[in-house]
Amino acid sequence: MLRAAFVTRQVPHGTSLARETQDAILATSALTEALSVFFIGDGVYQLVSQQKPQAIACRDFAPTFAMFELYDIENIYVCADSLLERGISDVDLVIDVERLTQPEINQRIRQHAIILNF
Amino acid sequence: MSESLTIAVLVTGPAYGSQDALSAYHYVKSAVALGHTIQRVFFYNDGVLNGSTLTSPAADEFDLYNAWLVLAREHLFPLDICSGAALRRGIIDQNEADRIGKSQFNLELPFQLTGLGQLAASIVTADRVIQF
Repeated sequence: MLRAAFVTRQVPHGTSLARETQDAILATSALTEALSVFFIGDGVYQLVSQQKPQAIACRDFAPTFAMFELYDIENIYVCADSLLERGISDVDLVIDVERLTQPEINQRIRQHAIILNF
Repeated sequence: MSESLTIAVLVTGPAYGSQDALSAYHYVKSAVALGHTIQRVFFYNDGVLNGSTLTSPAADEFDLYNAWLVLAREHLFPLDICSGAALRRGIIDQNEADRIGKSQFNLELPFQLTGLGQLAASIVTADRVIQF
């Protein structure tokens, strides 16, 4: 069984939760490689490339997802259904992530001892 | 009694304005009453607002700040405040105030500034991580 699943469902900007979730994931990756990240619902917007949040005085943290590879975070999944529902299945994402259907995501999440929802 | 667990609690809601932190408090109180060990309560996101010693509820209302103090002292678990999240929200202890050059501070023991490493440690070692 894997240790921790981070489920992130929030838009990248508007609240700080998505950015602080990214920080928590990076910190946790220092102690275990047995973690996974799931982008679900509005959380899929975090992965859209070419964002310019500086225009609203917010930090552009999307490029920092590239650090996941450096930190050996390998289990990164995005909900294909959520992308489709939002009409962004074809847009470029900032990192390579595995696209799973909602049932597949649910099944993967259940393989973790600790599930954190943000 | 069933098996005793080591539990970490993650709080991301403020001291007032949402039910999250109150629910966390009631959960912790119940868990220790049942013989479980609270490894730490980690305050993150708006949860760091629980650490402000300036929180001043009306006299006839529940004082969550004081309730955390009493419970943590009785059961000897840390009240960890994420420093990055805290400083951004104006929650600051005397050391940080001196370092940054602020004339005031509003965080005191047993609440303490720590890093996300403490949350990570709990995620890796606790039997349960319960989120509010």
